[in-house]
Formats: sequence, C-alpha cells, structure tokens
Amino acid sequence: MKPFTYLTPGSTAEAVSLLDEYAPHARVIAGGQTLLLAMKTRAERPGVLVSLSGIADLAGLRVAGSGELVVGATTTYAALAKAGLTGWHAEISAVGGDLADRPVRTMGTIGGALCAADPRFDMLTLVAGTGAQLDVLAPSGVRTLTPQEFFRPGGGIKLAPNEILASIRFAAADAFTAVAFEKFRQRTFDAAVASVLCAVRTDAGGRLAAIRIAVGAVRPVPVLAEGTAAELTGSPAAYVDPDSAATRIATEVLGASGGTPEEQYRRELVQALARKALRTALSSPRS
Amino acid sequence: MQDVTISVNGREISAEIDERTLLLEFIRDVAGLTGTHNGCLEARCGCCSVEMDGNIVKSCNVLALQAHGKSVTTIEGLSPQRLRPAEHITSQSLAGMYEPLDVLGADADDLHPVQAAFHKCHALQCGFCTPGMVMVLKNYLQENPAPTRDDIRTAIAGNLCRCTGYQHIIDAGMQAAKQLREDSVQLRDA
Repeated sequence: MKPFTYLTPGSTAEAVSLLDEYAPHARVIAGGQTLLLAMKTRAERPGVLVSLSGIADLAGLRVAGSGELVVGATTTYAALAKAGLTGWHAEISAVGGDLADRPVRTMGTIGGALCAADPRFDMLTLVAGTGAQLDVLAPSGVRTLTPQEFFRPGGGIKLAPNEILASIRFAAADAFTAVAFEKFRQRTFDAAVASVLCAVRTDAGGRLAAIRIAVGAVRPVPVLAEGTAAELTGSPAAYVDPDSAATRIATEVLGASGGTPEEQYRRELVQALARKALRTALSSPRS
Repeated sequence: MQDVTISVNGREISAEIDERTLLLEFIRDVAGLTGTHNGCLEARCGCCSVEMDGNIVKSCNVLALQAHGKSVTTIEGLSPQRLRPAEHITSQSLAGMYEPLDVLGADADDLHPVQAAFHKCHALQCGFCTPGMVMVLKNYLQENPAPTRDDIRTAIAGNLCRCTGYQHIIDAGMQAAKQLREDSVQLRDA
C-alpha cells in the first residue's frame, strides 16, 4: 500500500466537502473489501481515504412513503441478508446472503460493490435488473441516477471524485410479482462468471404486464435484454416457453453463435441461467 | 501516524500506528497475539478471521483504523489458558506427543466447545487454518445452533484448509453444534 491519510467525517456534508477539498486524490472507503485489495497491489493509490463508517444515516434500510425500499449505501451484505424483507424484496436479502463469504459479508457494502463496479458483483445485476434508482450526493446537492446513467458503458462509474453514492431506492414491494436471480461461480466465495436477473409483474389476467431481464458479468456493465423483454410483454405468463426465451436472451446479449470457446461457454451459461431465472420468476413467485 | 484504540479480548490497547496497518498486523505485532494467522493477506484463506463487535471479519482486509473503538475477539479469547504463551512448542513437536493438551498445560474442559470438537474429531493436521476455522464456526453456530452439514460447508466457504479435506472439520462443526445445544439446555434447566 502507498501511504495515505485516513479521515472519518461525521456527516455526509462533511464527507462531500472533504472529497471536494482533496479531489482527485481522495477515495471513499465504506467496508473496504474491494478497495483494500486493490490498494495492496497498488492498483489503487489514493492519498486520502474518506471513511463513511461514522455516518449513521448512510447505513440501514427503510420503506419510504411511496413504498420504495431505500437502502443506505453503507448497508452491509450481512445486514441485507438479515433484514427480513418481504415480497420481491426478499430476493435482495437472498442475493446479499449468498455472495462472497461470511466474513466478507460482514464488511462488504452494497454501495461499495456498486462504486467498485466490478461486473462480476451480484449487486450490479440486481440494481440494473430491478431498475433501482441511485441517489448521489454532490457539493451542489442530491441527484438521482438510473443504473444506465450511473455505470459507464465501458466499465466503471460516472460519479465525479467529489460525489458520494448515498442510497439505492428499489421499487415498491408490489412493483414486481416475482424476481429471480441466478448466477454461476466456480467456488462458493468466488464472484460470478455469469448472472441473470428476471423481474416480472403479472396482471390480474395472468399476463406479463412488465418484464425486465438483466445479464451480468459478461460485459463491462450489466446488459438489459430489452428486445426479448418487449417480445414477452403482454403474453400470458403460463404460455412463455423459458427454453426459447432463454435462447433469445443469450443471442440478444452475446450474439447468435460462433466465437471463441470461451464465448460459446459464456453463451451457454447465460442461456442456462436465464432459463432457470425465467422458470422461477414465472412459476413460483417470491411474493 | 494516527492513534488507535482497540479492545482485544477485553484488553484495551492503544498505539500510534501507520495508517496502513491492517487489523491482522495490529493483533499480531501490537497486541502480540500470534494465534491469528497471516495466510494469504488477500481475504481468501480465512486464517486471520476474528470477531469484531461480535461479527466475523477477515482481519487481513480491515484497516486497524476501521476497528478503532471496537472490540475484537481472537482465538486466544475463546479459552482462558490460551492467553499464556506456550514457549518452544511447535506443531511438529506437538504431533509427536501423546497428549498434546497436557503439554500446553491446558485441559480439554477449558476449551471452547468448538475447540474441543476440533480436538475430539481430529479436525486439524498442520493447524494453520484452525484459528480461522474455529472463529468462523463459533460465530456461525451462535446464529444457527442446528446446522446441517451443508450449512457448515457454506459457513466455512471462505476458509481454506490444505490438509484435512474438510470432512473432519465438518464433523467437528456438527459435534460443536450438538455440544452447544446441550450446554444451552443445561443452562436453561439450571
């Protein structure tokens, strides 16, 4: 590690002003589970670390008046897993409780994962797939971004050095009838090789009123299979064939066929995961 | 340099440290407790796992500054006699002894149930990963006192062992869970 100064602001306003003062050499540290590893290899060499751990209002979950679930950026995976969420929000808990390993989940935070923006991290797929809103604090005030606006198409995030991700707002519990997340990893504590999230809302007649499909880890940012989703919208959920829909998703995200063996492997993996996610979301809704 | 105060196994330790000091380095070099092992230093092997305010962390991937004002429990905090350093005993010399616990001046009764289960089930060979395994299992069994073997496998997913093939460690986890359940029943009845 390169030497650095460690600052612990007590409020978000103080944190933003510290970042503004020391930009571009300052970095935010939440749990540090990604940043510290990068600092050890000197891939990251910030001169100043601004810790968010002392800012109470950045951690924790609450349901807003609109029904949205507001998750503070420094909420740990362990806290998400234990939150006892209901409706489709239970899938957020399930994803938070089934990534990395137990000690890492104690420290790792949802905001840290999003700002590290490693495409293999499950939180990116979760946020992109469910279309969560991201509240960002800047010296000039708060601005809200969609995942598409938050992530750079080529990888990384679009935040300025003096901005902080404050909270993630997930759609209300009744926004989706079911959300299913599937991933593949080599070992339990590894990051995903590929991940797929499928979120559906069915109407009273059993038709798909809305469907969102996101594929993660195969591109620098999570990719939405918007074409396939548009084709499926409006059809009765019971008559959707997960097999052919999964093939369409893999084709839409990764191209029709051919490529290196690695690309073929990735496409088959995405297809298998999409099939599982679709089956789960369409048949046994987590609601 | 920055001042930091961390309570390690109930003892407040204050020191002026380099900002880059990891919690692992603080425990080993400042607190002088070498039971917490430095394995990979990249949050993979889990040998350095300790409890911080009751939650399990990999101390090689936490800055000592992040633990400022917090209370840390290491493997030495699980059973009292382990706070006495055992001089001139290596794992090799222990392996040749008939009853290694006697040599350490320890009694199996003093061990934490997870440690006792590791002893009973032969859940270690070289012992390097053991402090991390024991800490993670202790923390996990507090949350889930009635685990399945699969639950234990998942709980120690972040701990690597190159000797045992894990089976005896899982045996020990199940044994410790059983013992802890029996202990809690006795406590309730008493």
